[in-house]
Amino acid sequence: VTKYGFVIDHRKCIGCHACTVACKSENNVPLGSFRTWVKYIEKGAFPNTRRYFTIERCQHCEDAPCVEICPTRALYKRHDGIVDFTGDRCIGCKSCMQACPYDALYIDPNTHTAAKCHYCAHRTDRGLLPACVIVCPTKAIIAGDLEDPASEIAETLARQQVQVRRPDQGTRPQVFYVAADETAITPGLAAQPPSYLRSQVGPPGVDLEPKGALERMRQLAQGSTPASDGSAQRGMAPPGNIAGSTQAVTVYDVAHPKPWGWKVATYLWTKSVGGGALAVAGPLLAAGFLSPALTAGAGLIAALFTVLTAVLLVWDLKRPERFWRVLLTPNPRSWLVWGAYILTLYGLVAGLWLLSGLLGAGSALRLLLAPGILLGLAAAAYSAFLFGQAEGRDFWQSPLLLWQLLAAALLGGAASTVLVAAVVDTGNTRLLEILTILLLAGVLGTFGIVLAELYTLHANKDVAAAAAYAKRGPAATRLWLGYALLGVALPTLLLLGVLTAGLPLGASMLAALAALVGLWCYEDVWVRAGQSVAMS
Amino acid sequence: MKVNWLRTDRPRRTKVPVEGRIPPEPFVPERASGLVSYPPPEQWDHWTEYESTAWPHKVERTYQIVPTICFNCEAACGLLAYVDKETREIRKLEGNPYHPSSRGRNCAKGPATLNQVNDPERILYPLQRVGPRGGGKWERVSWDTALDDIAARIRRAIVEDRKTELFYHVGRPGEDGYMDRVLPAWGVDAHNSHTNVCSSSARAGYAFWMGNDRPSPDYANARFILALNAHLESGHYFNPYAQRIVEAKLAGAKIAVMDPRLSNTAANADYWLPTWPGSEAAVLLAIANVILQEDRFDATFVRRWVNWEEFLQHEHPDGPVSFERFVELLKASYSRYSPEFAEQESRIPAATVVQLAREIAAAGSAFAAHVWRGASSGNLGGWQVARALFFLNVLTGSVATPGGTAPNLWNKFVPIPPKRPPHQQVWNLLSWPLEYPLAHHEMSILLPHFLKEGRGKLAMYFTRVYNPVWTNPDGFSWMEVLQDEAKVECHACLTPTWSETAWFADYVLPMGHGPERHDTFSYETYAGQWLGFRQPVVRVARERQGERFTYTYEANPGEVWEEDEFWIELSWRIDPDGSLGIRQYFESPYRPDEKMSIEEYYRWMFENSVPGLPEAAAAEGLTPLEYMRQYTAFEIKGETYRDQETEVAPVELEGARVDPVTGLITTGQPAPPPREAKPSIGASLDATRRPIGVMVDGVARVGFPTPSRKLEFYSRTLKEWGWPEEAIPNYIRSHVHYSAMDASRNEFALVPTFRLPTLIHTRSGNSKWLNEISHSNPIWIHTSDAQQLGVVTGDLLKVMTEIGHYVNRAWVTEAIMPGVVACSHHLGRWRLAEHEGMERWSSALAELSHEPSGDGPGQRWRLRYVHGIQPWTSDDPDSERVWWQDAGVHQNLTFPVHPDPVSGMHCWHQKVQVEKAGPDDRYGDVVVDTGKAHKVYRDWLSLARPGPGPDGLRRPFWLFRPYRPAAEAYRVDRATPPPPADLDRREAIDESGAGGSG
Repeated sequence: VTKYGFVIDHRKCIGCHACTVACKSENNVPLGSFRTWVKYIEKGAFPNTRRYFTIERCQHCEDAPCVEICPTRALYKRHDGIVDFTGDRCIGCKSCMQACPYDALYIDPNTHTAAKCHYCAHRTDRGLLPACVIVCPTKAIIAGDLEDPASEIAETLARQQVQVRRPDQGTRPQVFYVAADETAITPGLAAQPPSYLRSQVGPPGVDLEPKGALERMRQLAQGSTPASDGSAQRGMAPPGNIAGSTQAVTVYDVAHPKPWGWKVATYLWTKSVGGGALAVAGPLLAAGFLSPALTAGAGLIAALFTVLTAVLLVWDLKRPERFWRVLLTPNPRSWLVWGAYILTLYGLVAGLWLLSGLLGAGSALRLLLAPGILLGLAAAAYSAFLFGQAEGRDFWQSPLLLWQLLAAALLGGAASTVLVAAVVDTGNTRLLEILTILLLAGVLGTFGIVLAELYTLHANKDVAAAAAYAKRGPAATRLWLGYALLGVALPTLLLLGVLTAGLPLGASMLAALAALVGLWCYEDVWVRAGQSVAMS
Repeated sequence: MKVNWLRTDRPRRTKVPVEGRIPPEPFVPERASGLVSYPPPEQWDHWTEYESTAWPHKVERTYQIVPTICFNCEAACGLLAYVDKETREIRKLEGNPYHPSSRGRNCAKGPATLNQVNDPERILYPLQRVGPRGGGKWERVSWDTALDDIAARIRRAIVEDRKTELFYHVGRPGEDGYMDRVLPAWGVDAHNSHTNVCSSSARAGYAFWMGNDRPSPDYANARFILALNAHLESGHYFNPYAQRIVEAKLAGAKIAVMDPRLSNTAANADYWLPTWPGSEAAVLLAIANVILQEDRFDATFVRRWVNWEEFLQHEHPDGPVSFERFVELLKASYSRYSPEFAEQESRIPAATVVQLAREIAAAGSAFAAHVWRGASSGNLGGWQVARALFFLNVLTGSVATPGGTAPNLWNKFVPIPPKRPPHQQVWNLLSWPLEYPLAHHEMSILLPHFLKEGRGKLAMYFTRVYNPVWTNPDGFSWMEVLQDEAKVECHACLTPTWSETAWFADYVLPMGHGPERHDTFSYETYAGQWLGFRQPVVRVARERQGERFTYTYEANPGEVWEEDEFWIELSWRIDPDGSLGIRQYFESPYRPDEKMSIEEYYRWMFENSVPGLPEAAAAEGLTPLEYMRQYTAFEIKGETYRDQETEVAPVELEGARVDPVTGLITTGQPAPPPREAKPSIGASLDATRRPIGVMVDGVARVGFPTPSRKLEFYSRTLKEWGWPEEAIPNYIRSHVHYSAMDASRNEFALVPTFRLPTLIHTRSGNSKWLNEISHSNPIWIHTSDAQQLGVVTGDLLKVMTEIGHYVNRAWVTEAIMPGVVACSHHLGRWRLAEHEGMERWSSALAELSHEPSGDGPGQRWRLRYVHGIQPWTSDDPDSERVWWQDAGVHQNLTFPVHPDPVSGMHCWHQKVQVEKAGPDDRYGDVVVDTGKAHKVYRDWLSLARPGPGPDGLRRPFWLFRPYRPAAEAYRVDRATPPPPADLDRREAIDESGAGGSG
């Protein structure tokens, strides 16, 4: 069986970028995107300074996480080992970009679908070597069949000591490096300057928001100096004179957009509210605490927020008109698919619940009780498995995530029910007291898990770096002011006040609102922190 | 067994001849399980592959694959153009596996050619200025109008005997031999080059040694490589050399790189030797000294091939002419270059110098060394750097050996073109002034100052692939004279794209990019000889499909011409009836009295002037032209070495005289007809003493093309032409020597010359892919210096030269030596109008202002950026995706001219004062006083030691001179000399190719 791979021999690479340009030409890769690129690292104090190059690209992993997460089977592993893709099937969900630990994928602004190095499969199928291989002046990129002992690649692998990138990710990459410097192939070991040796730091996320980006860049270019533009891109750059320190410094690289933004954070939030609505209302209904109006109200919240969740999900797709492919041409290994099924079913249940509630159909409600609770919990919690498939984002792969999502569902369900109850069922003090306790439990439960997430021992340095981004980095204000103060401290005080000092109903409502705003802040911090760590 | 696949130069693949053809072996070995690099040539006429953008749908596209030659640097690597049979457009450009020099491989600039062809900003129609020159108003004009006007101006100048008012100023020639025919046909000395902003000093240093003005290192076979260059990063010939250096490295060769800055070459080397700029010769001579004192030199080679007899004869006439005495004197005279002295000058530890000397000596005849720009072009006296470097080749006996360094012309071939005109009778003093009789070559940087001084005017000035306003030092002085219509009556810019210089033209005439034109050339990229043929790929593809074209522009986009046809057409219009004697050279060699077609020009050369080509073509059933259209490269001979040992033919020795002391063999017989059109070097004015060789150990050998026919350790030419103290390899302290720097005033040596692997001087502004990778040129400054100035990476610095300053960002790094700052030379492109004048991929919008200078004739200029690079809307959706804003900073404007008094090189390095930028300084600011610039010019001019030299000559006759005039023109008094030995047969002398340009 043929198994294609690459050997990249850094005894020979001279950092000339010919592979980058030949690839752009062969595959029509737009400005701002790269299927292969050459990273430069410098280290050592004068005159013992050295510069190292690394050629980066798709690693054609044996266990490719992008293939696993892709909901529509747009990415697939061919029999010859090439990880290829079909733009036609891609819905532009960008989950592959989160799954890949090598930053190999991008969204093509022409097609709005994901793309990456595909070993020039269109060439190999005609018997030709990939474009980067044939251009390389020093033959530093070796391609061929790893299983063919007569091939140069197999011979090189047999003779030379090789390294792979990020072996800890368990992806079994099929790109092997000879004599690569550890600092150059391991992300995060080199400092990031505000600009590079001969270019700005970039590209910024142009391919994600073409219109806005164009306008933003016009503004940046208008009368502003590159220094100030560069600092806008500074990101995680430590302050001060980093290019001059003797620690390793990245002196050329290409930047990768952070594919998920506020829509994904909001999706997590709407899902907590929507899923939590029936998960909280269900037991209360069974215990007889809910009035018909509140029962219908819970259904309304569940249905409305599930629809909102779906809208956000579809809106975040680069090809939203293809959203149906998730349901109709699904990849059963992708939690994005299972999530879509869960949300669909839950939305259905929530709609029926609402209808039954409005019609006062008690028997129907009794039938919907168990599905409502279970699907509500599933809708809230399945994302733990989805984010668990985001192999590139170690911060998201936390074992606490499931519990955090469940606690958030409790928070979201209780808070939304408090708000509805305050409107339709003000007289039910017993219920309000239970809801207050539930909300307090949700707020404190979530907060406890968050603290554990951020402060207990981290699985690796990437997780630690992401946690630091949240705790002390650019997201700290939102975490501490938006979440901890507004979303935890304030509701806790108010709710304790309600429970012990008999504060009026308004205090519960305010607490619920504050807790919801705070929860959104945390989801946003969490989504951003997860993507803050360099992968290449 | 250890298999070194890189050494598998020529794989033997089983090949089935198609239709009786036996294609040559490609230069690409394949062991990739059935995958190959290139479609087999039998299928090039009809090659089907899958369109990548439709993948995984198997959408087939059919291509005509047409090879051609890259034009993005001088290396002339092979390309294969995939011309879509349906759209007739070029889909992509890959490497040509049948090119012996590039062997199917390219650097980033090769595939980026596609951007240049498809550039939405390119100029497609001839433009004529409207309003004042430089005013920025243009209108489209017909080629006929432009050609007629220009031809009339040239004709008038020729008829009125104002021939020296015609100027053809070329940057990158990208061809060998074509213009060498055109200009002499007009009888003019019009050629001006970019050489003295590039390589004059290295050329001079090598030429005084061996006649040839370029080195040809045999990197592939070297055991030790000493590079005063950046061949793993840029330079000539980047791709072919990088391939071979890496081959040698993998085979165990050691690499040492001398560069104050950590280049990518230095980053890949075993030794990075950060030398203080200008101290390189001190280190090299100290290495020589160690080799000499430790008796590690190749005494046999030195005795056989160095002109020590001449040295003793002239410098030490009071003793015996013996080699032992020479060695004693040699050791004595170089003992002052101790390793400690080298350390003091360069800061390279003395122990390292000794170690290097021993390693170099151990490599022996497999020691490859090379300098071209770098240290030579940066420093006053930089030509002695080249002389000191080649001294090491001489001492180790590594001249023209496997793994050594050869004279370049031995690895170069220039075919004789149809009907060659005689040499011109005029000498152009604006290019070849009397002050610089040894210059290599034209004093192009001084042209604006000469015009300002009233030394002449230009009736017709062509610039071609040349951008002096931007590239040359002192660009504001260029702008001043280009805008003075009394000094420059008409300026036509031949260019595919806008440039800062084109803005100051009367005509902008669009010429084809690499895949849109014909040229031939040959460069010394390895120890063999090859000929390359560039061809317009769409024209060729369409002709293969049955279409017929008279001119290449019919198949090019818009009204883009190719220069070869332009010169034929222009020459024809200068002399339409043949009365000036010009037209005859542009008539067809096959159809009497009719205009030559470009196909006929090359067909004639390939049929008549390239040894082995007709036979190779016949073996494939092709005509020579068809063969070259099929492969575009032909290897004339593979690796050959030690050409100097070739014995003089017995028939030539008849009646020859042998000098009893030096062994020089001369003859009065006429020279045999030449077999190629290489430059004539080493000729004698005296017809009775034509040198033909030298006696070495009793055998008559052809030797080197120098007056002594040996390697000239001792240059009588330098002595007789005013530089006796520099007649042997020596160390000249640079104008940026550390003793000239006052650290307390924040004075630094600025290295402003280094290149980037992805850019092409000022010619890659039209490539989006290349500019995306490189678009900034910050000031490299060492951490300790940055701390002194209180700056970090990104802070603005003000860099002050003798005539002005510029403002750029700091790049704080450990990759440069303390006390030295460096800035890459490609970037800082600007335009003066929003929508034209320069490529928007790469240029900032700027505004110019000026006021009278307080310091003499000139202005105080300021260039300030209005905005950086911005996205815009065009046919190419990528123009809206331009994500970078930085265009870099233009530094060359702030450099005054620094002509080296011997080589004529513009000595690029600058002594600068660097400070943190002030509140009024903005990124990209350039301020210059051209009055001051003219004063600096006068100061440097006063260093020159003007000719004429012996015999009242303007220049030593034996020395290489591009576009060599007739012998009579060499004489200041123009008295008719006796017919010189080489000139009684016109064909015997030519200088086509100018040894390549650099």
